[in-house]
Amino acid sequence: MSSPLWPAPASGRRPNAVLVVLLAAAVLAALHAGAEDRRYTIAFANLTEEPGVTLEATGFMGREVRDSFVLAARRLPVDLVFYDNRRDVRTALDNAADAARRQVDLFVEYFHEPTANDGVARTLREARIPVLAVNYAVGDAPLYTADNAAAGRIGGEALADFAARSWQGRTVFGLIVGAVNSRQDRLPERVQGVIEGLRGRQRSIRIVNLDTQGNHATVATLVGRVVAAQPNAKFLIAALDDVTALAAKSALEGAGRVADGAIVSFGCDRSIHGGASDRKEIDPSNRGSIVLGSVAFYLDRYGYDVLPLALRMLRGEAVAARTTTTHKLITAANVFREYPPYDLQ
Amino acid sequence: MKFASTLVATFLFFASASVALAQTDCTKLVPPSPWGPNDQTGATNRVTPAVTKAAAAEIQEGKVVPMSYPLVDGVPLFGTRFTKTILTATSLAPGASFGENELTYMEDTWLSQSHVGTHLDGLGHIGRKDCYFNQIAMGKFINQNAMTKLGLEHLKSFATRGVIIDAVKVFQQSGKFKTNSACKKPCLEKGTVISAADLQAGLKMYNVTLREGDIVVIHTGWGDLFEQFPAQNAAYNSGEPGIGKDAAKWLIGQKVVAVGADTWAVEVIPGEDPKEAFIVHNLLITDSGIHIIENVRTDLMAAEAARTNRATFFFNMTVPRAVGMTGNFVGIDGIR
Repeated sequence: MSSPLWPAPASGRRPNAVLVVLLAAAVLAALHAGAEDRRYTIAFANLTEEPGVTLEATGFMGREVRDSFVLAARRLPVDLVFYDNRRDVRTALDNAADAARRQVDLFVEYFHEPTANDGVARTLREARIPVLAVNYAVGDAPLYTADNAAAGRIGGEALADFAARSWQGRTVFGLIVGAVNSRQDRLPERVQGVIEGLRGRQRSIRIVNLDTQGNHATVATLVGRVVAAQPNAKFLIAALDDVTALAAKSALEGAGRVADGAIVSFGCDRSIHGGASDRKEIDPSNRGSIVLGSVAFYLDRYGYDVLPLALRMLRGEAVAARTTTTHKLITAANVFREYPPYDLQ
Repeated sequence: MKFASTLVATFLFFASASVALAQTDCTKLVPPSPWGPNDQTGATNRVTPAVTKAAAAEIQEGKVVPMSYPLVDGVPLFGTRFTKTILTATSLAPGASFGENELTYMEDTWLSQSHVGTHLDGLGHIGRKDCYFNQIAMGKFINQNAMTKLGLEHLKSFATRGVIIDAVKVFQQSGKFKTNSACKKPCLEKGTVISAADLQAGLKMYNVTLREGDIVVIHTGWGDLFEQFPAQNAAYNSGEPGIGKDAAKWLIGQKVVAVGADTWAVEVIPGEDPKEAFIVHNLLITDSGIHIIENVRTDLMAAEAARTNRATFFFNMTVPRAVGMTGNFVGIDGIR
């Protein structure tokens, strides 16, 4: 059967191979250009956009995740449709069904409940709509996710390195402070990463978990009790989120033990870094802080990572089964490079 | 003795060499000025007598359109920035007047940062590391009071043609207009990227072609929030619509003198790339010597252009010859 794109060679004549190759190249180029020029409708179903509700055991909220998609889409041939899953199974399933009815080009699902995600995967498979999952698996869809274990290791290693530089020969404790057992936010992975990071460089360090159960008001009591019991020790504190880090610093100040602590936190949200006018704890002019830094989770930049992946899927390009956030320790030395402030004129 | 002096000389040579190596090589970060290695003037070099004379042809009715906002305490500023006046009026006290003619007088003390209200960004305002316009390593040219290079005293005239581009109309007509509910008049939402194509559409709307030496003023409507000060200061400062990188590069190619807008930074905030800081400032000021004029009042001129179907005017702005300063507030009138 001959291709409809060009006629079959007449009998007795050799096909002009060069012409065929050129034509094929032109067709492929046109198809590729078409794919580049085409605008796509991508739906994003957010975990929750309820004000005040934070995500992934960081200080980021759903609104910041959504805004990152809006900002990232400005440079891309993408029209966005937003859904709010409201952390609710029924809503998540309804949102997927609505996206299927609308025949969006691709569905980005951010939802934490496995059974619901199976249903979402089924609905969209039947509608022949590709899915990209965020933080939690949705069927066999490519997954973009935070890497709590890697982030934990970065934080643990930074603390251990500080102790090696500053507290040689001293008794040093590792304190991991936060909702250490919260499986929903995958904090046990973050905790394990911290332990590996600390022990990788300080093999014999004693590590104590201080479980706040998500209540920041308990930090002062928990930290205060431990430091009071160890008047001659130094403390490497891995605070599992930024608010906990600030509370731990306050606890050390209250105990008169600021010089005995070093803190690394996780998330790097706006509670811990600010701008040129809006100064916060992690700031170039505050290099002496005992808060060494915060491991960035970049929920406020998810759109910049996820939408290019979605476009690659839509253009038929290969996408890894699992893509992780590139976590980085944000300190006074790099905070303005990583998060350029814009509060000046 | 000779050995010792040789040793000292060798040490001094290597010491000075290491200092030199520690400095940024500005030839790698910033392009040279097209006006030569000693240029500290930048794009106002383009305002030649011929350019000013041609711009004068824009004055057809003698109508003067104000294009700057009142400078008063309470206008939108960031953090601890301020502008504050203190009036000295002691001679109004009984018996304090002078002479038989009973002369009295008043004066002001003006305490202010220079980048407030409607203001000009000079060439010393923005750099890459310590490298500023024309590859000047500014670390060597500053003291605690001022710059010793690139100050406003080096600028030439801004007496040239102004061109207003009504970005609000462009976005309305293209069906991509998104506004901000705090604006009382139509405004583009913060984060809206104005592209080169948008600028070209705005020029086409009034059949204008840019000329070398023009000053481009962009109406985004965002200035409506400035006018509502202090009620909407936080909203005004929270971001802004503005030009993106491709628009800036296109304007550079048009060889303009300055770009102004009714926003606090002219460029889109949040920027297109979250890891870049005020990149349009770098492109225009640091790389090209093109000035940025912020917080320009544009609504009156945009309305005038719509009414008369003419977007060009004589741009009348005087910049104080403030020696060693990075910028200053300005008064602008568009004359038609």
